Amino acid sequence: MSRNTTTQRETERTETDPPEESMNTTTDQTQAETNSDGDHIRIESLRKTFDDGAIVACDDVNIDIDEGEFVILVGPSGCGKTTTLRCIAGLEEPDQGQILIDGEDITGRKSKDRNLAFVFQSIALFPHMSVRKNIRFGLDMNTDLGSDEKSQRVEDVAETLGLAEMLDRKPSALSGGQQQRVSLGRAMVMEPKAFLLDEPFSALDANLRDEMRVEVKKIQRDLNTAMVFVTHDQEEAMTLGDKIVVMNDGHVQQIGTPYEIYNDPKNRFVADFIGSPSPNLVECTVERTEDGLAFVSEFCSIPATEEQIEHVEHRVGETLVYGIRPEYLDIVPDGGAFVADLDVVEPLGDRDAIHLSANGTSLSAVAPQGEVARGTDRVNIDIQTEESWLFEQDGTRIV
Amino acid sequence: MSLADYDAVGVTLKASTYGVVWFLVLLNLVPLLFIFSVSFMPPTEFFGAPHIIPYEPTLEAWTSGFAELKDNLINSFLIGSGTALLALAITIPGAYAFARKEFYGKKLGFYAIILAMMFPYILLVIPIMGLWNDLGLYNTIPGMILAYQVFVAPFAIWILRDFFETLPKDIEEAAQVYGCTQFSAFVRVILPLAAPGIVAVGFLAFLTGWNDFLFANLLTTGTGPVPAVPVLYGTIGGGSGERVYWGKLMAETLIIGTPPTVLYLVARNYLESAFTV
Repeated sequence: MSRNTTTQRETERTETDPPEESMNTTTDQTQAETNSDGDHIRIESLRKTFDDGAIVACDDVNIDIDEGEFVILVGPSGCGKTTTLRCIAGLEEPDQGQILIDGEDITGRKSKDRNLAFVFQSIALFPHMSVRKNIRFGLDMNTDLGSDEKSQRVEDVAETLGLAEMLDRKPSALSGGQQQRVSLGRAMVMEPKAFLLDEPFSALDANLRDEMRVEVKKIQRDLNTAMVFVTHDQEEAMTLGDKIVVMNDGHVQQIGTPYEIYNDPKNRFVADFIGSPSPNLVECTVERTEDGLAFVSEFCSIPATEEQIEHVEHRVGETLVYGIRPEYLDIVPDGGAFVADLDVVEPLGDRDAIHLSANGTSLSAVAPQGEVARGTDRVNIDIQTEESWLFEQDGTRIV
Repeated sequence: MSLADYDAVGVTLKASTYGVVWFLVLLNLVPLLFIFSVSFMPPTEFFGAPHIIPYEPTLEAWTSGFAELKDNLINSFLIGSGTALLALAITIPGAYAFARKEFYGKKLGFYAIILAMMFPYILLVIPIMGLWNDLGLYNTIPGMILAYQVFVAPFAIWILRDFFETLPKDIEEAAQVYGCTQFSAFVRVILPLAAPGIVAVGFLAFLTGWNDFLFANLLTTGTGPVPAVPVLYGTIGGGSGERVYWGKLMAETLIIGTPPTVLYLVARNYLESAFTV
């Protein structure tokens, strides 16, 4: 619990760091105390449990979503991302916390009175209605627009999504991708405050998924409407999001831009979860050497950078976790920090993932395509130490 | 591909399949054919040597049979449709609650309802007769409709609950996100999607009300709203062994069997999608 609140505070602090966000966040900080008009959607200390509190789906979730922002909730299954989204949509009632839209508390309101559109993982079209009626459903139920206006909106949305030819078909006559488009269309006609998407493309095949991703991002840019997108796919999160919220075990682990999350993870979980292949995380002991400090593991001794020395100078002899992304392990002809056995080379397209083991520890590195010849069984590895992270054994980031 | 295999296995399999199918079809068709043909025969013919095509076809059995059944058919229709409508009115909300809502005693309640269905309903006749007499429901159409609920409702709840459970929850939630209350989502989305199940249950409830003999015979008297089936029983002399006018019996059987058949044909699409899922 206490760990979580520190993570949370740290998160808020770093949000002011990146220059491109400074305008938003400085106003955020000042307005948060007085009023929250600056925020489009604001989730405050949200908590939701199931089975009379036996299962905590999400706890102490705080997220700000600005107008026109594309926010991704990402995490492993069961981390509470979908529950959070469903709470925003009003499909679940939170145990604690508030959801504010433009400063107005909507926590207790029915889904239909929130002016938010939800796109379901299962697509969830009304199978007994035509595509036209499906798209029009929300307008018919929830607005008092004239019939012409409704038809016009449906036509416009269908045009945007390339569904114009299919308006009179039943959903069952459409392909999976087309069905998900209809589902998006049903959301778009409402001109909602925000779109909430729950793993919308997980039912589609890989190519179609990429296509839909681009399309959704384009639509979101054109409409300039906030979008909250839930996914368990870290790659999808990285490619789509303006802001990524990494969740685990019902708690927010880190909030930041894709670059921040990738380069500067707040804790071991985020480091491990984001990026493919996963980063190398190795336990090592801090030891004093002639030129300063070094991190000594079972297979090598890595000199500490000056910044790292500042943080761990007083901790000689303690065990920490040293983390480095595979792309910062360089394969060198000779020398390097250590020698490792080559287990598997996994082609990823333009580059190869190299799976290594050094004295029983599994590691991975990345090299340009074909750089490591087949049949190589031992390689020398150099480490770009300035790109490394240090974590406490409990996962908290040191530096 | 060898020819020998094809001969031995393929042909035998196909032949035996057709053999079984034909056997089953004839098992139904032959009696039906006799029923049909006897209904057009004068008494002299059906008491004579058996034959299929009547020598002197007559509509006498049909006209007298229909005249005798006219009022009772109306009673049967009222009882059958009343049973179906009341059963649906009770069990649609009930089954939905069992499928989607959490409430105290849900499991126990459901088993209790299913158990009621297992109860041999002939044992219920006596208490129901007494109770209906006290309540003024004896020998009335509403009384009959209510009595049938005792075994129609559990069965309807069972089928409909399963049907509602198979409908994806997301669809209902989608309706709620896009402007429905829980109730209007139920009416606009769940009911249309459950139509096959509802039609099937309604049809079976109608059949129960239409075809039942036990309650129909015991809960009505000659002066009251007697349904058609007990009249048929009268035609065979109430089992007294008197001379039976087979022509009229067959005509009446066909007359009574026609409305459910027509109803089945109308509802066939729904029924098939309800029971093949």
